[in-house]
Amino acid sequence: MTPLFPTAVTDPDQDLRARAEAAGRQAVHDLEYLGVGLATSVLAMIVWIAGVTVTLSLAVFIVGIPAVLASAAAFRWVADLDRRNAARELGAPLQAIYRERPDPRLLPRVSATLSDPQTWRDLAWLVAHSVVGLAFGSVAVSCVVHLAVLVTLPVWFWALPAGSDLWGVLPIDGAWGALLAFVLAPPFALLSVALLRAMATGEARLAAALLGPPAHAPGATTGARDASVRSRRRVDPARLLPLHAGLALLIVAVCTLLWLLPGTDYFWPVWVALGLTLTVTIHDAVARWTYARGAPLGRILAVAEVAIALVGICVAVWALAGGGYPWPVWPALGLSVILGVVALVLYRDRLPWTRERVLVERVDELTRTRRGALDVQAAELRRIERDLHDGAQARLVSLSMLMGRAEEHLADQPEVAALVRQARAEAGAAIGELRDLAHGIAPPILVDRGLVAAVQSLALRVPIRVTVHGSDQLGRPAPVVETAAYFVIAESITNAAKHAGGAPVRVTVAQRGDVLVIEIADTGPGGADPAGSGLTGLRHRVEALDGTLRVGPGEAGRGTVVRAELPCAS
Amino acid sequence: MRLVIVEDNALLREGLVALLRERGIEVVAHAEDGDGLLRIVGGHKPDVAIVDVRLPPTFTDEGVRAALEARRRHPGLGVLILSQYVEPVYTTELMASGDGGVGYLLKERVGEVREFVEAVERVAGGGTALDREVVAALMRPQGAEAGDDVLDRLSPREREVLGLVAEGRTNSAIARGLVVTAGAVEKHISNIFSKLDLPAGGDDHRRVLAVLAFLRAAQEG
Repeated sequence: MTPLFPTAVTDPDQDLRARAEAAGRQAVHDLEYLGVGLATSVLAMIVWIAGVTVTLSLAVFIVGIPAVLASAAAFRWVADLDRRNAARELGAPLQAIYRERPDPRLLPRVSATLSDPQTWRDLAWLVAHSVVGLAFGSVAVSCVVHLAVLVTLPVWFWALPAGSDLWGVLPIDGAWGALLAFVLAPPFALLSVALLRAMATGEARLAAALLGPPAHAPGATTGARDASVRSRRRVDPARLLPLHAGLALLIVAVCTLLWLLPGTDYFWPVWVALGLTLTVTIHDAVARWTYARGAPLGRILAVAEVAIALVGICVAVWALAGGGYPWPVWPALGLSVILGVVALVLYRDRLPWTRERVLVERVDELTRTRRGALDVQAAELRRIERDLHDGAQARLVSLSMLMGRAEEHLADQPEVAALVRQARAEAGAAIGELRDLAHGIAPPILVDRGLVAAVQSLALRVPIRVTVHGSDQLGRPAPVVETAAYFVIAESITNAAKHAGGAPVRVTVAQRGDVLVIEIADTGPGGADPAGSGLTGLRHRVEALDGTLRVGPGEAGRGTVVRAELPCAS
Repeated sequence: MRLVIVEDNALLREGLVALLRERGIEVVAHAEDGDGLLRIVGGHKPDVAIVDVRLPPTFTDEGVRAALEARRRHPGLGVLILSQYVEPVYTTELMASGDGGVGYLLKERVGEVREFVEAVERVAGGGTALDREVVAALMRPQGAEAGDDVLDRLSPREREVLGLVAEGRTNSAIARGLVVTAGAVEKHISNIFSKLDLPAGGDDHRRVLAVLAFLRAAQEG
């Protein structure tokens, strides 16, 4: 027979203890989360009420404009506190995407702040949290206080005035009452733990929904979303639908049979049937909604299904009641309005004025994720280089060292010594190839000393004169920017060495604000083809970083100048 | 000869110790990072330190920086850098950092045991031992508009001889390599010394200065 709990292969007592400990830790964790939430909910209430009233009342004057910025900043500050708190509960960082506000002037900043959906989601969170956080936090604290009272009551019940009771039902002014309270403590504790878990989960999901990235953003990898995916897998509404429907039919059939028994003439099972129709319809609608997976049409159909069922039931009730004033018109009208609103909400992305906003959000998101992907790739390549250095290369070096020693001991067997020497040469070739591979990822000196030193080192190795102008004191840009800049310079110098007839090359590296500017100029005959394959590869590399690459004749039309500008805000 | 090793990879460090012991050279101390180098150099007063470039904690050019500091504190200390890649900039920095032998070899050269041990002895004695790849990287063809480059004063043959001097070859080894007589090599070398305006003095010292001039010229080019 298969065990009921296949995981419980270890000592069941121990397993139980471990689970109890885990639950206890989780409860403390939840309590901490809800407690901090209680504090921030009060803060949230003060901030949103103050922010909204002050901003609205000042809006008639010019000072209302800075008040918008101040309020949004305050909202964001409180939201950030809750983000940190919720991140601990969710076990994953919670990061919202705020629209970038590059224009420092007042009006564009205000307009960007007002059009940033996250500003409004922050406000929504503050309002929701000032109710939910306050309620949940208070309940959590009250659970702990009650538990403390229950446990300690046998010690101090005598101090209570006569007639005291607990929850209005349990008299606790006597020893028996106190003992009963003490006995009630463990079940109350279990109940509290479950309640804490439920409240903490609910509050954290709300936080993830409002404080995290919008649901359609691909970067939305919050714990709450994972949790919702898990729960969808656990309960599959469509699987239970046939059972539900079958059960409903069975109940109606049984009721009809009962009705057939003599003694009743009013066909009451019709009410049972109507009620069950509603539950089955709702069940079907839930399954439809789930399987729509966010597709608006499926969701609208699910809502429409329930609406039509409700109207149908109303009509049936109206008919059963003997007609008269056609009141089902009103629910039908109301449900149509609800359906229309739902359709409007679900299709809001297709509305012309929100479409643009959605696209802007999408571009923000893509810019951020693309940069993230490139950073990860650059860091990963450097890690591979380091692993090669410490791993395969070091082992090959050790191998060639051992073979060198073996060779020394084989002086009396020249044929064997020659074979070992050949093997050592092979190992040496492998080391050389690995070295070239590592160098192609990023030259070691670039990683060690930065761009200017790496270009100086490169200048030593090329057959033309290269002068480098730039400061080693440059702040180090991100690896991905640094590597791209290095390869732009290296490729340009190689091109100059090939085509510039030995003319000297001048490399300039400068940082202007958040832009790294590199320029490679030679005084050769010029005529570089900007569409050539080498330059196209460089351009792709630079453009992936939102940079620009220009190739053209130098001053007075002489020579070739390659100029790349790479944003390097850290 | 008193020798210390600074290498964080245990496999390579033990291999080096064993290899040198077989050749009768005792390693008096070893360390795994830059601070360790300064400590053992201060404590054991070695003639030569074999140093890896990438060391903890940064795993960048920690070894070179520590070696420069050690040479500043202990003038005359020979430093032989063993690295998995060639970096002329580091070579130049070491050569310019004062008296004492300097070597920069790729790690796989250790497999050529005899040459490696000779290089260690040469650096301990104040000479140079630059990897042929370092020299090759610096021995670039002359540019068409190259101006006042001291190397331009040398004939191609003299440049070749200077490169071999930088690698640390003896006159007789250079003669064997170029298939000329030892007398011809001596003549080339004295021509190099006079063209590079090197003062009269000990031949070993002048060889080091010539290599330094060569590295500087490469750097300034």
